[in-house]
Amino acid sequence: MIDLIPAIPLAAVICLLLFTALDIFWKLPQKGGVSGADVIGKELENSGGDLNGGWMIGNIISSPDASAGTLLAACGYYAWGIWGALISIVLVYVGARICADKGFAGTSGAICATLIIWALTSFAGFPPESFIAGCVIAIFLVEGISPKHASRLLGKIWRKVS
Amino acid sequence: MEEGLMIVEGICVVIGVYCAIRAVFEPKTLKKLPYLNVMNFAVAGSIVLLMPYPITICAAIAYFIGSTLESNAISSTVAQLEEK
Repeated sequence: MIDLIPAIPLAAVICLLLFTALDIFWKLPQKGGVSGADVIGKELENSGGDLNGGWMIGNIISSPDASAGTLLAACGYYAWGIWGALISIVLVYVGARICADKGFAGTSGAICATLIIWALTSFAGFPPESFIAGCVIAIFLVEGISPKHASRLLGKIWRKVS
Repeated sequence: MEEGLMIVEGICVVIGVYCAIRAVFEPKTLKKLPYLNVMNFAVAGSIVLLMPYPITICAAIAYFIGSTLESNAISSTVAQLEEK
């Protein structure tokens, strides 16, 4: 059983790696997707950021992406175990369709997060609530401190892997 | 409230309030949206932490999807206005 205090930063790193990897896998930085995401990307580029990273942040904002899937799966798992996580997966899928999202970043994020959270809470003794705090910290690192610098970093990663 | 829960709730509240303040003081509408998105994450997390019942999952997800749709609508409107 791992304590809550060391579990939260570990969970934050796991959530950050999970949703960035999935968002890049689903090619979120490639184009604006909807017109709103496009204009957010351009705005971030105008203020000194990176266009590809900006588009990725725009896509995260305008539709439930892997980060939203991770958070909502963590919430579901915390409130009602594996059943709660399943509800989250279904509702995130519905939510992505409502937001006219063509991809499956949100749904796949929720599924992967459920598997990881289930494994880590069952076998490594992580408290489930650590993933809620972890995911909030992870998205804060991407969007809350400096979206401009985050977009540059995300753009660099995208150009390396694409 | 249990101590562990207080820490998690505290993290959500501090991050949520910080991002809400940053959103208020950011002059450009489009640049407010990333901060609002983080705030929505924190609020959705807080809802479940405060009321950990199965039905709350639906409430938190409805809140989150609704706020995403709102951000989507705001940014699309700005995009349309810029086109004109």
